[in-house]
Amino acid sequence: MILLNSTPADYLPIVMMFVVAMGFVVTTIFFTHKLGPKRDSKIKLDVFECGIESVDNARLPFNIKYFLVAILFVLFDVEVIFMYPWAVNFKDMGWFGFVEMLVFLGTLLVGFYYIIKKGALKWQ
Amino acid sequence: MSQIAFYILSFLSVVSALLVIFSKKPVHSVLYLVFCFFTIAGHYVLLNAQFLAAVHIIVYAGAIMVLFLFVVMLLNLNADIEPHKDNVLKVSAVVAGGCLMLIMTSVMKTADTMPIIDSTNQIGVVKNLGLALYQTYMLPFELLSVLLLSAMVGSVLIAKKEDIENLPQ
Amino acid sequence: MNTLANNIPINYYLILSGILFCIGVMGVLMRRNAIIILMCIELMLNAVNLLLAAFSVMHNDAGGQVMVFFIMAVAAAEVAVGLSILVLIYRNVKSVDINILNRLKW
Repeated sequence: MILLNSTPADYLPIVMMFVVAMGFVVTTIFFTHKLGPKRDSKIKLDVFECGIESVDNARLPFNIKYFLVAILFVLFDVEVIFMYPWAVNFKDMGWFGFVEMLVFLGTLLVGFYYIIKKGALKWQ
Repeated sequence: MSQIAFYILSFLSVVSALLVIFSKKPVHSVLYLVFCFFTIAGHYVLLNAQFLAAVHIIVYAGAIMVLFLFVVMLLNLNADIEPHKDNVLKVSAVVAGGCLMLIMTSVMKTADTMPIIDSTNQIGVVKNLGLALYQTYMLPFELLSVLLLSAMVGSVLIAKKEDIENLPQ
Repeated sequence: MNTLANNIPINYYLILSGILFCIGVMGVLMRRNAIIILMCIELMLNAVNLLLAAFSVMHNDAGGQVMVFFIMAVAAAEVAVGLSILVLIYRNVKSVDINILNRLKW
């Protein structure tokens, strides 16, 4: 079992991948900015928006609907995280673990039912 | 080798944590905090708690900080909302925090040096962690579902705008 | 294989967590933007998480890491409710500055 025996050294490739990815992005951006000729003009630096002049700030306050979806995503994300260790130990724990997870998910389903009933995910 | 990695990660996490509290724009603070969380995930990998590292990135950097970024965008806080700085407050906060830090570090330095048992122990892998979670800590796990349920209900109740036209009379 | 074997004393983790926690405290005292204050609370929770994981590895006991899971879930719940309250406050007073929010009713 590879899963049962791992050391931090096994994660060296991932660190290398991070370094290479970051290094690639940084060097490309740096050298394109350094090497490319700079001919800035007002029109060139303008925000291109299908030929129409852009009007407002990009950071408009947007609909509150998205916010509720984001919050509920965080909560259900945490719920799903707890299913990973359960799934790995599924066979070892047998029916006990199954019932345990059923109770957990049942409680959260009550919340989901509330959300649906309240119409929090309805888009109108 | 692992000492060097520890020093680099610690330096990065402390610097990014300082940048979180000292940067002017909330969006920058959020991004620095995401970076700080990545370095803390690196610490978890160094402790051979790999599953914890993965979950830390998924939950904190992937969900919680996205929610923070979302709220910063939603409330349109890219402009500085703290125009008139209260410098006395700032200095006193730094002094108070610094005193606390001084006391904590000086106390912890005097503690006996106990080397961590090297990371060949395998409690951090998913399987062993799951066994502890679902057998020893069964009751807290089930109570956690109640907590998440209450958070769900509470946030929907607070954040949802009631549409007044559709209310039953 | 053994080049990355962890031989870092627990004191280092204690000090690192202490420093991170104090930075969080400093942020809570210093900043007036309520969102940043919530973020500093997350930072403090993370300092505690790191120390719990370190002690869990030191004592070879999975309990500490399980607690880290629970803290993560509590943090998620806290952030969900806290940010909804903040959005609601912003909708009413158009600000998240805690100097304006120092009264319970308006």
